[in-house]
Amino acid sequence: MLVIIFRRLGQSVLVLFLVALISFLIFRYVGNPVDNLMGQEATLAQRAALEEALGLNDPFYKQYFSFVWNALNFDFGNSYRGALPVSDLIASRLPATIELALTSAIFALFFGVITGIYTAIRRGGYLANIILSTSLIGVSLPTFLIGVLLIWLFAVELKWLPSFGRGDVVQLGWWSTGFLTLSGIKSLILPSITLGLYQLTLIMRLTRSEMLEVMRQDYVRFAKALGLSSKQVNYKHALPNTLVPVVTIAGLQLGSIVAFAIVTETVFQWPGVGLLFINAVYFVDIPVMSAYLLLVGVLFVIINLFVDLLYLAIDPRLRDSNSSE
Amino acid sequence: MAENLLEVRNISVTFKTRYGILKALDNLSLNVKKGEILGLVGESGAGKSMTGAAILGLIDAPGQLSSGEIFYKDECISDAPEAVRGHEISMIFQDPLMSLNPLRKIGDQLVETILTHMNISKSEAIKKAKNGLKEVGIDPSRLNSYPHTFSGGMRQRVVIALALAPEPSLIIADEPTTALDVSVQAQILDLLKKLCKERGTSIILVTHDMGVIAETTDRVGVLYAGRLAEIGNTREVLTDPKHPYTRGLVESTPRIDSNSFKKSLFQIPGSMPKLDAMPSGCAFHPRCAFASDICTKKIPPILHKRAACWLLENGEL
Repeated sequence: MLVIIFRRLGQSVLVLFLVALISFLIFRYVGNPVDNLMGQEATLAQRAALEEALGLNDPFYKQYFSFVWNALNFDFGNSYRGALPVSDLIASRLPATIELALTSAIFALFFGVITGIYTAIRRGGYLANIILSTSLIGVSLPTFLIGVLLIWLFAVELKWLPSFGRGDVVQLGWWSTGFLTLSGIKSLILPSITLGLYQLTLIMRLTRSEMLEVMRQDYVRFAKALGLSSKQVNYKHALPNTLVPVVTIAGLQLGSIVAFAIVTETVFQWPGVGLLFINAVYFVDIPVMSAYLLLVGVLFVIINLFVDLLYLAIDPRLRDSNSSE
Repeated sequence: MAENLLEVRNISVTFKTRYGILKALDNLSLNVKKGEILGLVGESGAGKSMTGAAILGLIDAPGQLSSGEIFYKDECISDAPEAVRGHEISMIFQDPLMSLNPLRKIGDQLVETILTHMNISKSEAIKKAKNGLKEVGIDPSRLNSYPHTFSGGMRQRVVIALALAPEPSLIIADEPTTALDVSVQAQILDLLKKLCKERGTSIILVTHDMGVIAETTDRVGVLYAGRLAEIGNTREVLTDPKHPYTRGLVESTPRIDSNSFKKSLFQIPGSMPKLDAMPSGCAFHPRCAFASDICTKKIPPILHKRAACWLLENGEL
């Protein structure tokens, strides 16, 4: 077990170095940092001095390692706009995105798995067919449209929920949370649904098809032939076997929920890192962009690592085949 | 008829498809006596496995039991087969690699099955599970092992232990040795036979292997295209087959006696009809050397409680 975990950790570190390399290339070579920092009036001497100060004349690998070293110390330089440290900017925006992503992931996973199981067990049933056809809408409508529709219905027409922002937040140390106030929770609902709807339908369809596949397996038929109740057959035999692939996909989807929160955050003016990134793109704020890229990379790697370990916990075959290598 | 443990009366299994209704089993009747081993033999698609699945109500949609009744211990079970699954009738499937839940320890699966059917404490169930493993020749200390750590033959032993755990009176064994090495096949069959004999448990043994039929079964039913072609005492059927199809099957089985080495094996010409292109009358007549006019027109019933062949009517065979 320990060997596998360490090997996975090693792979993750390798991937992170690669992500850091790409992030560094953007940072260093998209546009000229000196132009961005000094403006057009600077003299050649001033420019040369700044280049020297920023270490831009150092060899490539040296610059890369100092970039990685700085990143490890959460130092991504200053934003070109407002000259605030990028790490502070991200730290102030990150809680909003993480709370949004987590809420919509739980929403998607919970309802996705439940409706998936239901539509598989009640295959061809009336309600199951309705859920299935409705889910097509979730798959085919683009996120921003769903967001706008939800705003129109629940914020403009019914006036039940706010249409933008996070509502009131409570500061817990450096973390600002919207979970503790009523307006914060109300503000979370629409963006979470918007962000999670696609994942929900995806997880539902995956769960359903996996469950149908598993229910055709001999061990499920055997369990039935042994006289186990349909509850035992469905939830103790079929469901765990269904979850192995669902966990993988759900894990990857959690990564993309964070990464693609950009659209939802824009529609709902959600003050998260996605919105920060979009604004950074408008103003070619390279340090923010490269730090964001690195952040998403780190998130993906951590989630993947976690999914791998979860896999090992669920499936005994993987545990053994890996340790015997 | 009290000696009959199981009576299958005129069952048909149909599949509704886009191309119409297909009959996988057509008006099939048979019975199983207490303690006997009934073999079901036939080609792929003849309906052997379907018969087993039909008895336990395990036919996958869109298939369904469309007519007929199944009686177990003189009670009709075809409306609610769930009630007899496990503790009265249980089943063993063909592929032991696929029959056990890969994510759960075999002990958990055994204990779960025992607790479902018996009103005993968990520690007693564990004791019973260990006993069950010992009986099929598996070290009881492997209770906490996962299925993938066993070989195919050992897994089929675990499956047998599982099928016997709720103490059924009838086991439907659907090609229990087909997926195993030849060297293991005989062991598994002997084990199954021995354990069932000790308990007085009846077996329906589904197979396409005439050798297995000859060695293991008391009586045998020969299926062809979803219909029963011949049924009777195994020795009589194999030494003196009444249905031309059975005769073809017997003659196409290699045997070790003096002159048969020189001859090439007999083949039944043609192949079994597809369900959507069933011939009229007797389903076997296009391949039958003895077919006459009536064979193409009327489906023969089982005559003399033995074979579904018009030849028996005139006593020609």
